[in-house]
Amino acid sequence: MDILITGVGGQGIILASKILAYAYVIEGRNARTGETIGMSQRGGCVVSHVRAGNAHSPYIPVGGADLLLSFELCEGARRIPYLKKDGFAIVNTAMIIPVSTALGKSDYDVEKITKYISENTNAIFIDADRIAQECGSFRAVNTVLIGAACGLGVLELSTDSIIQSMKKNIRAQYLDLNINAFHSGMKATEEMREKCKIM
Amino acid sequence: MKEILLGNTAIALGAVTAGVRVAAGYPGTPSTEVLEGVAKYNTDGKISVEWSANEKAALEVAAGASWSGVRAIVTMKQVGLNVASDPLMSLGVIGTKGGMVIVVADDPGPISSQTEQDTRHFGKFANIPVLDPSSPEEAYEMTKYAFELSEKLHLPIILRPTTKVCHSSGTIEVDTEVYQYESEGFVKDPKWVIFPPLSYRRHLEIEQQQKEISVLFSRLPFNRIEGNGSIGIATGGATYAIVKDIVETFKLDVTILKSGAVFPPPDQLYGEFLHRVEKVLVLEELDPVIEEQLYHVMAVRKIERPIRGKLDGFVTPAGELRFENTLDYIEKFIGRKLKSIENKPVIDLPQRSPVLCAGCPHRASFYAVKKAMRGKKSVFCGDIGCYTLGNGKPLEMTDTCLCMGAGITVAQGIKKAEPDANVFAFIGDSTFFASGMTGLANAVYNGTNIIVVVLDNSTTAMTGHQPHPGIGRTIMNTSSPKIDICSVAKALGAGFVKKVNPFEFDEAVKTVREASEKNGVSVIIFEAPCVALVKSHGICTVEECTGCKKCIREIGCPALTVRARKVEINPALCYGCGLCTNICDRIIRL
Repeated sequence: MDILITGVGGQGIILASKILAYAYVIEGRNARTGETIGMSQRGGCVVSHVRAGNAHSPYIPVGGADLLLSFELCEGARRIPYLKKDGFAIVNTAMIIPVSTALGKSDYDVEKITKYISENTNAIFIDADRIAQECGSFRAVNTVLIGAACGLGVLELSTDSIIQSMKKNIRAQYLDLNINAFHSGMKATEEMREKCKIM
Repeated sequence: MKEILLGNTAIALGAVTAGVRVAAGYPGTPSTEVLEGVAKYNTDGKISVEWSANEKAALEVAAGASWSGVRAIVTMKQVGLNVASDPLMSLGVIGTKGGMVIVVADDPGPISSQTEQDTRHFGKFANIPVLDPSSPEEAYEMTKYAFELSEKLHLPIILRPTTKVCHSSGTIEVDTEVYQYESEGFVKDPKWVIFPPLSYRRHLEIEQQQKEISVLFSRLPFNRIEGNGSIGIATGGATYAIVKDIVETFKLDVTILKSGAVFPPPDQLYGEFLHRVEKVLVLEELDPVIEEQLYHVMAVRKIERPIRGKLDGFVTPAGELRFENTLDYIEKFIGRKLKSIENKPVIDLPQRSPVLCAGCPHRASFYAVKKAMRGKKSVFCGDIGCYTLGNGKPLEMTDTCLCMGAGITVAQGIKKAEPDANVFAFIGDSTFFASGMTGLANAVYNGTNIIVVVLDNSTTAMTGHQPHPGIGRTIMNTSSPKIDICSVAKALGAGFVKKVNPFEFDEAVKTVREASEKNGVSVIIFEAPCVALVKSHGICTVEECTGCKKCIREIGCPALTVRARKVEINPALCYGCGLCTNICDRIIRL
């Protein structure tokens, strides 16, 4: 099981990968993660690879990911080539406009980007930022998206293992909020589950 | 118990399990989390953990501890070892007592470094054994072993992980027992004083010892031959994991040579490998170290095998090896296609380069200097830290960047060559303590009139907010004396010294003008905390924007965005620093 998580520095991507990786360990599998962080604290792209199974290398090859969990629209589009032919993408519709776009040096074309994602993979779009806000904090976007993936039934993980992993990896004062966010994310995609199987 | 551990954290836990008593380092990506990990696991406070002022200080602290019989670890990134190379070279001669491990993280790519240098060369240069882990799991095992090995050989051991090991995590069965030992303390002995006759005698011993270590390394499980095919692939470090994935995925009949204890080279094992294969592909990141070692073994043992690698241009000399290009090299080497990846089309997407955060005080400092110097001949020398990002559009306030602390001294060279220019040197607070003070003394002593701007955000921001000598707090969260940069600058003889908050913008601009008109070395300290450390000051908003976008063109703050030709301020990003209110009357701070 290979999951690529992508977005922008500060969105909680590294924590999301920890929660998932540890959940696989709870279920008795080996897991590894690989992060490309570098200067990402400064608003750069962040990609985290989560691999459950016996892979030796931390990075998922291009064309090898089962699931793409994208925290930001155009970052999702950027990593589409990492998906397998029959892979899934769960894409947060939230946008973080880069400075290059504000300066007029590059174009953030929402329609074009959305169309590209839809045409090139099985994609589910959800407004995870809004769901996180409703649960109490935009910072819970990572657990909303994990919930969304769980709701789709594409993680090969039980709900219990994920919650157990959240308990280990999230500070006590934020735990309830995040468990709530996880369930809300799950609810948002459970309805789409049947639809996905057809796609 | 099984844990998911980051490579760096695994090294930290390995050291703690091995009974490390003294740990020192200087932050630098991708090494930083090692020392932070030791601090985290130091729950009973028995380990002395410190962020040192720089890498040279850290290595010397660790050497002193080792000479006193305790186990010590020192951590840094590859360019940090350049700073620490003076003690390293001598330590290779004098040797150690308590197990000493020098963790030096290399950064193929480079992803967040100035250079793509290969620390394995330093092992050869200083006659110090080098261990090169291929995964977080192996990094954990190697760290524990490195302390034993160090005590057996009376030499420090370099553990050289690369970014893919440091910043990836693996599933590790962790030990619960910590190695216990008693140290007899520092015992006076002439062997701890490096004099030429001692150095000569030790040199003879060390060269002999290298041969013995090579024999030992040929039997070490970190070095091994896997598989039986007549095609040989020699590899090491993180690239081994990629090669292994490819060989298993495509069920290739090859013989892999894995080099984990890479210096001194395990010549016997290399010889055995060369005898078993008909031809060899060498896949390693950074320099062709294993490749040159194989050529050496072929020459000495009179073995002839064709070798493809970096030396003949078959493999790229620069950048990372990832699954994709590694697969390409293997396909080319064995002469058949293994995988047809159905490439998905790609589209043009907006670039997302790293930028100074919204509310970053460096933006205000740069903009104040830019405004004060507009129309005047000026050169802006930069340094290493978040503020290197000041080179990007639209600020464009970094004209040079060489290495830690070089801004101040490069500025002096430029001023000598161009006496009529206003030459500025920007340096961060942590960098000032690491290697800025010597440069300042040099400017004062030699009467070179430059303007030094210390960007004091009260932290080492770029590497994830580590404390430093100017903060008043240590890595273990205890308080410490706070060294005042103003007083240091005055004591070093700077003529004009002034501390200003860069967000008091008019005052900041005035101070820059004043400093530039003074004779002698001027030091401005722009003091305002990193936004990651403080709560937001509120929020800015635009009222009836005319759409001129001057605010964006002037400061390029990521919170300023454009919708329907008008500027809007993203409330999720804005810190309410108010810098933009100095550009446009229509922006107000709420």
